[in-house]
Amino acid sequence: MCGDYNEEGRCMSKKPTVEAYLKNIEEHMFKAYKCVDCGMIIAPPSGSCYECGSSNMDWAEVSGKGKLISFTVIHVAPDEFAEEAPYYVAIVELEEGTRISARLLGFDPLKPQDVKLGIPLVLDYEMGKSGKTYLAFKPA
Amino acid sequence: MSAAQTKFGALEGVTLREMFSEAVDKATVESGVPKKDIQAAFIGSFIPEMLVHQGHTAPLLLDFAGLKGLPATRHEAACASGATALRAAVMAIESRMYDTVLVAGVEKMTSVSTSGATEALAAAADDQFESSIGLTFPGVFGIAAVAHMQKYGTTEEDLALVAVKAHKNASTNPLAQFQKEITLEKALTPRYIAWPLKLFDCSPISDGAAALVLTSNEKAKKYTDLPVKIIGSGQASASMNLCNRKDLTSFSASVDASKAAYKMAGLEAKDMDFAVVHDCFTIAEIIASEDIGFFKPGEATKAVRDGVTALDGDRPINPMGGLKAVGHPVGATGVKQAVVAYRELIGDAGPNQVAKHDTAIVHNFGGTGASCVVTIMRRGDA
Repeated sequence: MCGDYNEEGRCMSKKPTVEAYLKNIEEHMFKAYKCVDCGMIIAPPSGSCYECGSSNMDWAEVSGKGKLISFTVIHVAPDEFAEEAPYYVAIVELEEGTRISARLLGFDPLKPQDVKLGIPLVLDYEMGKSGKTYLAFKPA
Repeated sequence: MSAAQTKFGALEGVTLREMFSEAVDKATVESGVPKKDIQAAFIGSFIPEMLVHQGHTAPLLLDFAGLKGLPATRHEAACASGATALRAAVMAIESRMYDTVLVAGVEKMTSVSTSGATEALAAAADDQFESSIGLTFPGVFGIAAVAHMQKYGTTEEDLALVAVKAHKNASTNPLAQFQKEITLEKALTPRYIAWPLKLFDCSPISDGAAALVLTSNEKAKKYTDLPVKIIGSGQASASMNLCNRKDLTSFSASVDASKAAYKMAGLEAKDMDFAVVHDCFTIAEIIASEDIGFFKPGEATKAVRDGVTALDGDRPINPMGGLKAVGHPVGATGVKQAVVAYRELIGDAGPNQVAKHDTAIVHNFGGTGASCVVTIMRRGDA
């Protein structure tokens, strides 16, 4: 994927990497991957394009608009996330076509029956009690 | 030609190697197969490194079970570890490298806390993109359930009926972790694990082992008058990430693996007398029974409601109680499922015997459905 490493073995290239993808989320600057050969937008990262098989990737800005595909509410969470439970995890389809897993904000986790699939969402971030920043979406 | 399992459950005071050895003894010497006839071992175990702090388990387990020196490899594909070991053994025999081999699966899960086991299980999902935002295994299947409910009108009660059936079947299975029937009302107790999945929609954390001895068609006569043949085997993989799946109401690896297995067997879903499917969650049984072609997409819930999949129904599914009620020691499960099919096929399932038992399909999938192995088994005289 990289091909250009410094003395410490870190990737020096501007090509997208998983590490940089995760760092972008931490910094509230989400970017997707884009296949240079066919233009397909891909997130989360893949080493090769789902459409044409190319492994030639670049970064892509996305609009942040999407719709809700499905979701769950996690009540029993691993230790790391236990203090945050119950919380929503959703599958969201971006306007650009790719789907990502993210937290869902703006709904009562004890009233999941009020959440309708297909509703429009926009990209956001959530600072978790775990200290991590999660990719998140909220109602548009 | 022989098959056995230990009791599944919280086996306090029994270590990984001891339960492995118990299952091996039952499937070999206690089934009339001398250990000296075994030429190689294929072992399914998911994550003993995290659960019992033990890697390189294959030689360790064989040594303890009196099979020291044999070629032995552990196969890992999360919850499908057992069936990948079985498939590797089938290929080894078909290649004529060996005549007689051992397939065994084992997992010891109760030596860590529930959160420790949850964390170990989560290693079967994509750590960087899904586990890292707090998605759990029940959560993965919760997402599938919500999608299935939206598309087909499946209800929480439909899911609960799968649990009621599982517990009913397991109530007469002395090797099951749970041997008590539950009412629909109890199955619907709103103790949510990952909405809409509740406590009784989930398989438990379990210890246990299972073992099979496989031999070539020619050698089988030496051991038994009633062998069971493996006539089809299929395996497929899919994206680990749920978000990379176009359809959340079906698992593509299950569809692909079952198509491959049916093709090898020259049979179709309608030719199967019963199925043993991977019901780690109630919704998983619903979707699996559609993915293997027993029912059209969206129609499995009606079949459950009408009793079609019950022990005495036309298309029994998980006649001994499934993962849901018998338990799910992850690496043992795929082997145990084949043990169940074997016992049903030869008519050795006691009160859990299905009426028609010539041909069976066994579906074992791993993690978020990213690995699937499907095996078709038929009684030798059928």
